[in-house]
Amino acid sequence: MSPPRPRLTALAVAVALVLADSSIVVLALPQIYRDLDTSVAGVTWVLISFNLVMALAAVPAAHLARRIGPGRAAAIGLAVFAGAGLACGLSTELSTLIAARCVQALGGALAVTAVLELLPATVGSERRAVAIWATAGAAGAALGPAVGGLLTELVSWQSIFLLQAPLAIAAGVPVLAVARHEAATGVISTELRRTGRPHLLANLALALVSAAIAAALFLLVLLLIEGWRLSPIGAAIVVSAMPLAALLGARVGPAMGSERARAAAGAILVSGGLGGLALLPHAEVALTVPPQILVGLGLALVLSALTETALAGRAPQAIHGGWTISARHAGVAIGLIVLTPLFTADLAQQRNDALDASTAVVLDSKVEPLLKLQLAQRIEERLEGERGKVPTLGPAFEPLPEDPATRADVILLREELQDQLDRAATHAFSPSFGLGALIGLLALIPIGLARRVDL
Amino acid sequence: MSGEGKGRFLVAAAIAASLALVGAYLAAGGASYEPAKTQDPCKPRPWTEPEGLQEIAQQFSLSALDGAACELGVSRETLARALATPQSRERFMQRYGIDDAKLARAIRAGLLRAISDAERAGALNPLLAAPLRATVRQIPVDQAIELIKDARSLLNNLESFLGPAGGLIEQFLP
Repeated sequence: MSPPRPRLTALAVAVALVLADSSIVVLALPQIYRDLDTSVAGVTWVLISFNLVMALAAVPAAHLARRIGPGRAAAIGLAVFAGAGLACGLSTELSTLIAARCVQALGGALAVTAVLELLPATVGSERRAVAIWATAGAAGAALGPAVGGLLTELVSWQSIFLLQAPLAIAAGVPVLAVARHEAATGVISTELRRTGRPHLLANLALALVSAAIAAALFLLVLLLIEGWRLSPIGAAIVVSAMPLAALLGARVGPAMGSERARAAAGAILVSGGLGGLALLPHAEVALTVPPQILVGLGLALVLSALTETALAGRAPQAIHGGWTISARHAGVAIGLIVLTPLFTADLAQQRNDALDASTAVVLDSKVEPLLKLQLAQRIEERLEGERGKVPTLGPAFEPLPEDPATRADVILLREELQDQLDRAATHAFSPSFGLGALIGLLALIPIGLARRVDL
Repeated sequence: MSGEGKGRFLVAAAIAASLALVGAYLAAGGASYEPAKTQDPCKPRPWTEPEGLQEIAQQFSLSALDGAACELGVSRETLARALATPQSRERFMQRYGIDDAKLARAIRAGLLRAISDAERAGALNPLLAAPLRATVRQIPVDQAIELIKDARSLLNNLESFLGPAGGLIEQFLP
């Protein structure tokens, strides 16, 4: 069998890789949306399908892992994950991409729950195993969008999936030794005692807070790319504030009090960050950083604390770990299903409001009537060419008039229009960020009840 | 600090950081950062003492747009974009279920309101207003739309619309 150190790294990478997949395509969604010629609501199913299948499959996958042996289950799971990743990368239609994402989630669910059975033997402590498993998962989920954005900009959205295959196989190599050992000796049931039902309140809180975190990541990326027209690499750099804060939170968090206090503080920070994103006073990238720091610190505190609470004193670990995976991904899927129609409707409304406000600026401006009408016509053309998004109106002003006075008026007008568009795009996301903050605060109810109710 | 004390401190710090962020963004205008609201086209819009034919023509066009938009139940801005090209007009009519007759009525109503507004503002002599009204009621809708787009042709060359008498009364224009 492999020595513990490489195997530990491989197991942590496997967990991070699978759980990063719930968010890694967030920054690629606008590109997928354009390449596969679909709708905003349609493309979100690339995310929702993965999370939904993970939520449904995690507990059955954990049972299967115990039945066939965790080493074998992890190896099969990672192989399926890698194969389905290749299929995702080669997809040319939305339907095949979504189908491949579902298969990827099945493999991921089997791998990630099996890893939880393998970790205690590798690190020598059940508690440490849970902490490593939870931290690797939180790090993967937080780093996913930034990595996905970089790959989308530098290579393509397909490269996100194609690169996962060799990584999953590399993570599976040390696990194969365990699988071979299991095949030779038969499946060893490592833990037969059952010490209770799933921790209902911790898992409920995990679902709620995961929905809020998904809202923060998904909506922020769409605001940056679709609303403020940043490139995927630009957006990736901006949203990297969140995982950096999460890494800091993961380092200092465990020393900062009980699991319950960390969970409560984390949920408050996630909600506070989302509240800040809902109240952005200007369309300035820098203004997204403080809220992201709060969300990042909060997610590191709350996800690890709730996962540890859900698993503490419970066995088998894979089954209860499966419940936490199920709760987290159900939260993400439900959050996206609830928020997507809300924010697409808001975006459509704000697009119309932005166009009206922009046209009002043109009509009330100092430029001469015929030029106004030409501009109104070009705005209409931009509107028809942008298929339901907040349009970029800059090209409507090209070429600029040669007369210096008219040119100055038109430049002023262009700035006023840009301001109106930025206001509309930012405002369109506010209700969804606000709802995300509310969902995060709701997690405080099960966290508070967990003290009095032993479930 | 004890474990419980650390936990209390952590929760208090989280509350303080969240409130500070939300409070700072609210104070910086986060609650009111939204696109400007468009005005109700049915409410009168004051004329801003126009100087010269071009400014009168602008005000006239805007009043006419307001009047027509009010009649159709849409914003002035939506109608301005709709009238930009024949294609945009067609899309607009389909989207709002408006037929040719309804659009023609609305456009004429808009021009009549513009004439009244101009008259009230002292930008159009009452002697001219009456024959202009009669003309607006009769001209084809395409020509009426062109008048909204550029009222200078109406105000600058009254003779072509009103016949020889228009030339005599042009001198009454301010």
